[in-house]
Amino acid sequence: MLKIRELTKTYGSIQALQDVSLDVPPGVFGLLGPNGAGKTTLMKILATLLEPDAGTVEMNGFDLIGRKDKTRQLLGYLPQDFGLYPALTAEQMLDYFAKLKGVTDKEERRALIDALLDRVNLSSARKQRLGGFSGGMRQRLGIAQALIGQPQLIIVDEPTAGLDPEERNRFHNLLAETAGEDAVVILSTHIVSDVSSLCSQMAVIRRGAILAFTTPQQAIDRLEDSVWEATVPREQIAPLKSRYRVISSQMLGGQARLRVISKGLRPSEEFTPATPVLEDYYFDLVNQPN
Amino acid sequence: MRNPAQTPFAAIFQNEVLLNSKRVAPYALMVLFMANAALWWSRPAVQFGWATNSDWYIVRNLLGFSFLLGLPIFTAVIMGDPVIRDFRTGVDPLIFSKPVTRAQYLFGKFFGNFFVLVCCQAVFPLTQLVLQAFPTSRMIVLPVRVFPYFKHFFFFVVITHLVMAAFYFTVGTLTRNSKLVYVLAAAFYPLYITYGLLFIRPLPFRWQVVVDPMLLGVSLRGNGFLHSAEFLNNYVVPYTADMIANRVVMILLAALCLAILYVRFTIAERSGNVEQLSTLNLSTTAGAVYYPEIFVKPDSTATEFLRHVVLPDAAKVNEGIRATLNKLIAAAGVEFRLLRSERSLVVVMPLVIVLSILEVAFYNIPSDVSYSAAYATNTAKLLLLFLLGIAVFYTGEAMHRDREVRIEPVLWATPAANSVLLLSKFLATLSLTCGLILAVGIAAIAIQVFRNHTPIDLLAYLRVYGLILLPGMIFVTAVAVLANVVLRNKHVAYVFSIGTAAGLFYLYSTGYNHWLYNPVLHGLWTYSDLAGAGNNQAAIVIHRIYCLTVAGACLSLAHLFTQRKSDGKRWSILLAVISLVAAIGTGWLISNRT
Repeated sequence: MLKIRELTKTYGSIQALQDVSLDVPPGVFGLLGPNGAGKTTLMKILATLLEPDAGTVEMNGFDLIGRKDKTRQLLGYLPQDFGLYPALTAEQMLDYFAKLKGVTDKEERRALIDALLDRVNLSSARKQRLGGFSGGMRQRLGIAQALIGQPQLIIVDEPTAGLDPEERNRFHNLLAETAGEDAVVILSTHIVSDVSSLCSQMAVIRRGAILAFTTPQQAIDRLEDSVWEATVPREQIAPLKSRYRVISSQMLGGQARLRVISKGLRPSEEFTPATPVLEDYYFDLVNQPN
Repeated sequence: MRNPAQTPFAAIFQNEVLLNSKRVAPYALMVLFMANAALWWSRPAVQFGWATNSDWYIVRNLLGFSFLLGLPIFTAVIMGDPVIRDFRTGVDPLIFSKPVTRAQYLFGKFFGNFFVLVCCQAVFPLTQLVLQAFPTSRMIVLPVRVFPYFKHFFFFVVITHLVMAAFYFTVGTLTRNSKLVYVLAAAFYPLYITYGLLFIRPLPFRWQVVVDPMLLGVSLRGNGFLHSAEFLNNYVVPYTADMIANRVVMILLAALCLAILYVRFTIAERSGNVEQLSTLNLSTTAGAVYYPEIFVKPDSTATEFLRHVVLPDAAKVNEGIRATLNKLIAAAGVEFRLLRSERSLVVVMPLVIVLSILEVAFYNIPSDVSYSAAYATNTAKLLLLFLLGIAVFYTGEAMHRDREVRIEPVLWATPAANSVLLLSKFLATLSLTCGLILAVGIAAIAIQVFRNHTPIDLLAYLRVYGLILLPGMIFVTAVAVLANVVLRNKHVAYVFSIGTAAGLFYLYSTGYNHWLYNPVLHGLWTYSDLAGAGNNQAAIVIHRIYCLTVAGACLSLAHLFTQRKSDGKRWSILLAVISLVAAIGTGWLISNRT
């Protein structure tokens, strides 16, 4: 169990994190929030790359902030924006990371790299230079390096941004399998479907503060009988937005398809009940005034 | 009629000038050329009573400038990769999907970059033109003149480099391989010298002028030393029919290169360069996009995407000196491999080797003790300056590479100590300079054998390179590591290093070269000292220990101030204190001895 207590971080006048407290159980934990919400700051603090102004982080009673060298032995980290040495091959890169993570035995290291490349489906590209890798391949190699050395805490920051649906699906499968190995996996993302696909628990963060801590199912259950859908002329959007909590609007053939939240009360005759999804919960939460 | 400034050719031309204005290379070249112009302004004119702005002296300087100082290589640097850059950055489909013809694109690129090159080169004559107003004592300056500078610059420099520029541009564009261009540029001197010896020299003088692309043969016999100062100061360099024919041939050759390029150039991707892998980067999922329920839970049966692979257990050792040493060896190996893949090395290494052995290869080296001692001493003195530059530059590259390729957060999250990450870069750069020292040593020995200056005394090389070059490189690399850690910006670190080196060498040249602030022992040693026959052997040994202790202190301080946080800094504080105490102790000993 990862325990985060009253974590605070300020950049000049901008408060990136405000007294963030979370209990993260083993499995994939989703940290959901819009761009600039403070997700990456929190991830960097957990990955020992950033010093918080205040607060503590413990994992099974072990102080992650005070003992950075030890923490790095438990850690697997895939940053949001990362690169690889283009002159090295996939195999050489993983070998280097394995050595840095203390895997000293040559045979064990080779077996581990073989298995990792196999797991992320890059065995055929093992001798290929990383400069020629596509975005999806780079991302899969990124998760492979994060898995080296049986980490107890795996942090993946916005891992699917920029991937096409096929690669995203592949990545989801990979993370789901990883989570089955008793590690705490923190998945930071602004893509709601990543969380609904993968996470047993989730938190929503906005402007450095935690807005909700729940499970995806509980979040959806909370919106039972509250989500309504209608197709209306474009000019009606503004009046409806002023009266109801519109969580999404999509233009279709000159008309707008709206989803609104209205607890137990149909907004108007053109609205029909809709099955709530996690996106409804998320957009409702992050679009609420302070 | 269409405004010529609004054509696609003009747009591409202007864009090339703009792109070059944002690169460091043109400014570096301008500073270098300006410094050369200032250096060549008075030497050797003052010594021999030559007027510094006579027609002959202007041409003499321009011919030297055009040929020496690696100018052909600088031409390759500017002209080799303008089109390659477009393909590398992936902007090529955006350009080729516009109504731009092949000619507009190629010639816009070529002339845009050539214009920048000429602007850089023009700094040389312009500086000398301005310097007419600042004569020093005993310098002869004729009445101020302007036109000859431009006329001769165009005739002797611009046309010569036009053909080289066209050649490098053509090769780079057609092969899309900038390394090949740099190799050709590095091969320029050996090829040109061979061409001169085997082909030009046997020809009659008139033909020598016609077929010499650098027009070096038009200078007066003896390069001025066979004529009186009065004659030279009044001599007007004529443009003979042979010289004009030479220039016409050069322009035609340039045109031929560009014509071949125009015919052969294709905007299509080469089969060899096509990635065999799909690029999956079209989706840029933004927070405002609404996702309907198209994504389902991970499909455990999707075996075509993912096979279940059990990761084997692997024992981890992260504690203790041995674990740290293993990581250091691994990291230093990778850093060295990355340094080796630096494209600039393809040019720098051969150039440095050639320039370092130039004197021992072509001149008679006086041998007071032995030929080996003379060869080692001569090459060490020439090599030193290059090694300083290489140590500073490649340390900067190594120190900031992780950030530039965005691998830094991944590396920093691994359980590798800060000492491992720092020392690996230090060791990699040091290995590079050691490799260069070794290569120059081998080349010098080969020349010794070739010129029949035997016997070979390996100990002489070991003494000179081991006592003078190696400790100096350890010192300079350690200081460069500290400068990069503290300043956190490689360009600032370069400026700091160049400024400090220039200041120190100025002090040394004016006689202020005390041992305490002369880590490379510039002007303070002879081979006899190293061999024990002179008076300074003990002082040199203590000085070398002094340098190594200062280097140790620099590395400890770099470890202390490194940006990456770690738990304990006790060892680095202790090491820094010990190194500083040792440095003060050895420094005190040096002060007493000298």
